[in-house]
Amino acid sequence: MEGEGLTSEAIDGPRPGHGRDCVRAVGTVMSSEGLTADVGSQVAVTRERRGRWERSSGLLRLAIEDRLALAGLIVLSVLIVLAVFGPLLWPQDPLAVKLSHTLQPPSFAHPMGTDGVGRDVFARFCAGARTSLIVATMVVLVSGVAGGAIGLVAGLSRGLTGVVLMRAMDAILAFPPLVLAMAVTLGLGAGVTAATIGIAITTVPYFARIIRSDVLRIRGLPLVEATVALGASKSRLIGRHVLPATLPTVLVLGTAAYGDAILTLAGLGFIGLGVQPPAPEWGTMITQGLQYALSGQWWVGVFPGLGVLGAVVGISLIGDRMRDLIDPTGTALGS
Amino acid sequence: MLRLIVTRISTAAAAIFGASILAFIFLRVTPGDPARLIVGPLASAKTLEAQRHAMGLDQSLWTQYRDFITSFIHGDWGFSYSAGRSVAGEIGSRLPATLELGLYAFVLAFVAALVAALLVTYRRRKEADNAARLFAFTALGVPPFWAGLLLLLIFSEHLHLLPGPEGRLSLATQPPGKITGFYTIDALLHGQLATFADAVRHLILPVLAFALVPFGYLFRLLRANLLEVSREQYLLVARSKGLTEWTAFRRHALPNACLPALTASGLMLGQLIIGSVLVETVFNWPGVGEYVVTAITRQDYAVVQTFVMLSACAFVLANAAVDVLYGVIDPRVRVSAAA
Repeated sequence: MEGEGLTSEAIDGPRPGHGRDCVRAVGTVMSSEGLTADVGSQVAVTRERRGRWERSSGLLRLAIEDRLALAGLIVLSVLIVLAVFGPLLWPQDPLAVKLSHTLQPPSFAHPMGTDGVGRDVFARFCAGARTSLIVATMVVLVSGVAGGAIGLVAGLSRGLTGVVLMRAMDAILAFPPLVLAMAVTLGLGAGVTAATIGIAITTVPYFARIIRSDVLRIRGLPLVEATVALGASKSRLIGRHVLPATLPTVLVLGTAAYGDAILTLAGLGFIGLGVQPPAPEWGTMITQGLQYALSGQWWVGVFPGLGVLGAVVGISLIGDRMRDLIDPTGTALGS
Repeated sequence: MLRLIVTRISTAAAAIFGASILAFIFLRVTPGDPARLIVGPLASAKTLEAQRHAMGLDQSLWTQYRDFITSFIHGDWGFSYSAGRSVAGEIGSRLPATLELGLYAFVLAFVAALVAALLVTYRRRKEADNAARLFAFTALGVPPFWAGLLLLLIFSEHLHLLPGPEGRLSLATQPPGKITGFYTIDALLHGQLATFADAVRHLILPVLAFALVPFGYLFRLLRANLLEVSREQYLLVARSKGLTEWTAFRRHALPNACLPALTASGLMLGQLIIGSVLVETVFNWPGVGEYVVTAITRQDYAVVQTFVMLSACAFVLANAAVDVLYGVIDPRVRVSAAA
């Protein structure tokens, strides 16, 4: 398979053992050959490519038709609104300590109560949403671009470069994802930037592998030969034919990576390596909530966890629907 | 077959080598002077220099890397000042706690996932399927430490059914004599039923929190496999030769659907490592993960370094073993791997 010896995909589709959702997405993508089935003539190729574009752009619209995906979209939208407009909707300072109001249960004045030093949990929840969503977005963008570039080069080069790049990706995949993110964050000095870099590094190989296998597949299609025969430059070939063809799979993987990034950030925060207090972040808020949970102040830790859960489940429901659309043979129960 | 083993072992070795470089770069070379951390901020330049020398930090990078790897291979993983003993000794004594937790969690996750996937695919009820899928998504989206917090809130703090975060046993209960290190098994072997019951009561909540992620993953995998297999023609043949629907399903669909789930056991090891880090602290479970989290907060980097390297080795080797095993079981894999 693709002549690079025995990779895990050669054996089982999903590479065993990495980020939860990424595995799922990689597995599907590997099996979604039907999407860009071999096409004979140039006309058919063009039609196929346009169809793919339409499918990508219409994905969101189609996702709405599925009730679970719609629910995911709504939850995620609410969180985005809270993250963006939180300070306007609820003008309380998430950092303002008020020692006369510690550990107040949820009320009209504090919809999610207050924490151990009297900070408003709802304001912190909104600020935490902003942190999580920004970090996850950065992770997906950075690792998508870096992984895309690596996968493209590895897929196009026939020499040593490709081998070396993919071996480097294997080295990253040798760690359970959280463990590597932990090491990177520790090395760079705990904090939100270090955490973002750490999570992005663990995510790069998934993008690199998918793009590379897509590129390898597309490279064998007649459309490439035809384009080259027509005198197209290499950059045109890549920009107009190769990259667009990888778009749907990348979109699906992006949603999976987004959810993983939010979870890993919360995990790092829980360990004490992510966003540093007093800055509000869901994972660290849960850690703080732990010490109050057993004395009855459940609201300190429960709400931030709901935030993580909502964001991750929301994005995976959308991603799952998109995946069903890309790969109709997939997992629908109906057949 | 030999070729499969050789290729798989060499890629595994390459991955571990690369991983050791990564670990070295991030934990040894990046900013932050490990010697300064040990001698403290008030130490004189001379003390610092002596410490740097003692740790080999004044050597060339290559020498440092070589020393790092040699001592790691020799099991010399350094001294953990947060535990007051060698890292190897501390990890060794904590491993059974983590393994006991992980083992029960995975047995639970696998059985539950298999039953749920069977119910959903065999009966083909759309509502049941949606409910199970949503639950699996939720299981995968829950941060395990938050699940632990919720379970403690409900079953310990609110309902008072199960003990709170007090580790593996109640304070009043003596640990059973060590045979396997698993308190449940040791207690049974010694015939101490009260100890066994106490150990079980302490296991339930952490096991549930731990099992969520593997359950979500396995359920999705098994469900997809069962659906795929049930479209195969040999199932049609099985039915047409007069087997009942259930027999055809059980004899022909189930084994074929479970086979790819075998590869998930590599992933499960990764989840064991991550889960142990994320769950144990919540329950004060004296395992490896809790040790690592403590070590991080106390800047005991020898522990973190060892943990990172050990995880990579275990993870890579487990995946390689699974791949080879899979080749043994499924001849088609051997063919495509050799191609």
